[in-house]
Amino acid sequence: MRVDPSYVSNLVGSLDQAQANEQQLTAELSSGVSITSLSQNPVASGENVLLLNQIQQDDSFTQSSSLVTGQLQVADSTLGSVVSQLTQAISLATSANNGTMNASDVQSVGNQISGILDEVESLANTSYQGQYIFAGGQTSTSPFTTSTATSPAVTTYNGDQDVNYLETPNGQKIQLNVPGSQIFQGSGANSVFAALNSLVADYSTGTVNTTQAVSDTEALGTALNFVSQQRVTIDNSITQLTAASDAVTSDQAQLTGAQTNLMQADVAQVSTQLSLSETQQTALEDVISELDSSSNSLFSKLQQ
Amino acid sequence: MGTINSAFSVISGALDADQAALSIVANNVANASTPGYTAEVANWQENQPVTINGVSYGDGVTETGATSLRDRVLDERLDQQQQLASSSSARLTALNSVQALFPPDSGSSTATAGDIGSDITSFFASFASLEADPTDDSLRESVLSSASTLAGDISNAASSLNAQGAALNQEVIGVTSQVNSLTTAIARLNQQIQTNSPNSDAGTLEDQRQQDLSQLSQLVGINQVTTQDNGLSVTTTSGQLLVSGNSSFQMTSGTVDGVSHFFVGNTDITAQLATGGGELGGYLTARDQDIPSALSSLDQLAYGISTSVNQLNNAGTDLDGATGTAAAPLDIFSQPTTVAGSAAQMSVVMTDPNQIAAAGLGQGTGDNSNAVAMANLANEPLMPQATTTFSMAQNLDSSTAVGGTVTGSVEIFDSNGQSYDAAVTYTNEGSNTWGYSISVPDTLTADTSVAGQVSYTFGAGETVDPATSLTITGSTAGGGTATITAPAVTAGETVGTAGPPATGYVAALDAQLTAAGITGVTVTGTGGVLTITGATATSGSVIADPVASSNATGTLTFNASGALVTPAANVTGITFSGLSDGADTLNLDWGLYSGSGTSIVTQTAAASSQSAQSQNGSAGANNGETPTDFYSNFVSTLGATVSGVQADNTAQNASVTQLQTQSNALSSVNLNDEASVMSTLQSSYQAASQVFTMLNTIMAAALNLGDQTTVS
Repeated sequence: MRVDPSYVSNLVGSLDQAQANEQQLTAELSSGVSITSLSQNPVASGENVLLLNQIQQDDSFTQSSSLVTGQLQVADSTLGSVVSQLTQAISLATSANNGTMNASDVQSVGNQISGILDEVESLANTSYQGQYIFAGGQTSTSPFTTSTATSPAVTTYNGDQDVNYLETPNGQKIQLNVPGSQIFQGSGANSVFAALNSLVADYSTGTVNTTQAVSDTEALGTALNFVSQQRVTIDNSITQLTAASDAVTSDQAQLTGAQTNLMQADVAQVSTQLSLSETQQTALEDVISELDSSSNSLFSKLQQ
Repeated sequence: MGTINSAFSVISGALDADQAALSIVANNVANASTPGYTAEVANWQENQPVTINGVSYGDGVTETGATSLRDRVLDERLDQQQQLASSSSARLTALNSVQALFPPDSGSSTATAGDIGSDITSFFASFASLEADPTDDSLRESVLSSASTLAGDISNAASSLNAQGAALNQEVIGVTSQVNSLTTAIARLNQQIQTNSPNSDAGTLEDQRQQDLSQLSQLVGINQVTTQDNGLSVTTTSGQLLVSGNSSFQMTSGTVDGVSHFFVGNTDITAQLATGGGELGGYLTARDQDIPSALSSLDQLAYGISTSVNQLNNAGTDLDGATGTAAAPLDIFSQPTTVAGSAAQMSVVMTDPNQIAAAGLGQGTGDNSNAVAMANLANEPLMPQATTTFSMAQNLDSSTAVGGTVTGSVEIFDSNGQSYDAAVTYTNEGSNTWGYSISVPDTLTADTSVAGQVSYTFGAGETVDPATSLTITGSTAGGGTATITAPAVTAGETVGTAGPPATGYVAALDAQLTAAGITGVTVTGTGGVLTITGATATSGSVIADPVASSNATGTLTFNASGALVTPAANVTGITFSGLSDGADTLNLDWGLYSGSGTSIVTQTAAASSQSAQSQNGSAGANNGETPTDFYSNFVSTLGATVSGVQADNTAQNASVTQLQTQSNALSSVNLNDEASVMSTLQSSYQAASQVFTMLNTIMAAALNLGDQTTVS
């Protein structure tokens, strides 16, 4: 078999290949990314889409979580204020019920409890970023209004029973609100406003019907306990949110690590490959230059 | 003297032969770099010896011409491999452009432009953010903005794919003229070769023909068949004749369904060319297979996302308290009517962020349940392609009594992937005429979530189907129990209400309960929901009839031999709306004719039979993947396709190089060889020349007979 006389063109083909290889490696080095087109690693390209999706979902949850934490903390702090107001009201009522106060003092207690009622109503109508937080889904409407047309006065709930949840990336649902009616208007004896309105009516004349007043004070105590119970729901949500947020942050860090491993170029490895490729190119160029020299032809030897 | 003259003749013949051989070497050297030139070697032939008195005397040598160093089998092998390499190379170029539209996201903080995977996640994540505060304007704005990015990137990718398809279409038209000029040239060379050299190698003419064949192989897949008188026939790999002897058959192009097809005479050879190889094969594979496949995936993605998001947004309450209606839909994306083309047309039609229905139906604007549902679409399967065509081969027994019926059914799917047995009822009207009626019985799911109560929710406008087989068991006044079966349904019977007076199907059920003495069971109908309370047991199915368009019924007529005459074409535009699962209107085309135009519904004197069932579009079209899974699989599949073609191309090119090396080793001019041969010939010429000089001296001496001065 004769030798292919066009060996230079084959060598040029190899040179092209070496140069393309160098270009690819240089691109990897400059971008820091090992996969610049789908065909380089189809499986990793698909996996990358899934990893980025999870990372982004985690990221989005972390942002949402900090948003709702603010709202839940406002709700918790508001309910804390409600509890202290109600505790004060019970203390006032207890002192008014022991029969040692004169009519004027009783009326004064009535006025103070009325002030507490206003304060609690105002707290129940607390809004966060323009939205009422104890109104269920009717967040644009003030949830509690009081009508003094009757005695005792009547406080009405204008919201609904809607509860919102925030879903974590793994599907856990965290409760974001407790409807106002559930906190302040629990069934029967649990109603904060009914108890407060009754106490205000009890002390308005200065003459105390002790039996009634004691009963109403006890009702307020029950309502206070009920509010505290509802506050636990909010506290639980804050705890759950913190735990979920921590878990998601940790998950995100792991996913980011995996994604980086998948896509990032190994600089040391790529540099070594580049160096090898450059050496190959230089060698090829030398061979081509030597072989292509016209002085190597037999014709040139014959001329000498 | 005779002997000296003979010696002169032998030597001058040797000089002539050497001269001719040197000319061949000179020609080889001169053409060393001519593409397609095949090296030639001199042929030497011993002259017939002369016999005198029984003794043979050699008569020298003659150079009889040149022979090209050619291996036809090797050349043909090289051409065949070249076809494969050109095809994969052209396809790879097109596929590289396709994959460039879907760059892998590095995951850095700067999102890669046009990264649809990241867009999908951002879009659904924007609903997840909206859960935190469904009334927040900026969060609502970000939903619309991420929707625009998603729609923009998908439609841009689809437009680019369409543009690439159009560019390939132009490219393939250009190839046609090159193919035609080459086949014409080969036919002309065939004629010259057959005339000049019918029995032996035709040298440069064959070089030219081989060069043309090599070029033709790079363009289309061909087979070569050697014919008599050194001729050659060329066909496509599938056997379509392109060159026969001195005739060539021109390839023409024409537009079929918006793309260029190729013809030889009246035969459409496009499909054959696509699989045959060559540049044209690669381009056609990319144009007709790779790009449509990528587009189809994008269409499914766009259709699935647009449809499911729109459907949920219309089912919630927006910030203004409104809910989507047919007249004023709350669509976020333009609603696609068909899967095909969904990607290119994907766009955001909502301009007011208040229209995002974050709240559930009937809930206050602070509710976030619908935002949660829309965020969860990210983890739910994409909406499958709705059935658009169905057909079934059906024979109608001509001996069926007039008024008698035959029923056939086929499984089809709605846009939610819900399966239905679409039924066609044929009624013999005599005189080779049958009436038909297509229905899609919608079997309702029993809701038993409330204790002691069973309810069935009808879709908008759905009526009760006669096949309803409900049975109710309840207590009687006497302390026993009784069971009633579903009352007969009148045509177009509605669910009705409990009244008073009770109406529709509720009234019929009520009457039956009363007649059976059942006292503890009440039946109500509110808002299309049939509710049965207090029954000790219920069984059977409640079936609803979706609202059919007018062309769901009609007439079929057959000729005497039983073939369908009217309708003369497939029935299109049949729709069923009001499906109970809330899916979009089901659009159907009923296939009555096969691709060759033969009717598949016939009337013959044989038992009625339904011999085949088929349906297009199915719940399995996307394998139940979430949008992100779907996109992930799409990029993996595309990457694997490109990678596979790349590997093929590398292997084929290596094989071409190998074959080319073998061919070059045999056929191309090796200057060192030529220098060596030239040197040998020169020596031979020189030797012959010296012998000639000596003979000349001897001849002079003989003529002068010893006198040195007469002849020198």
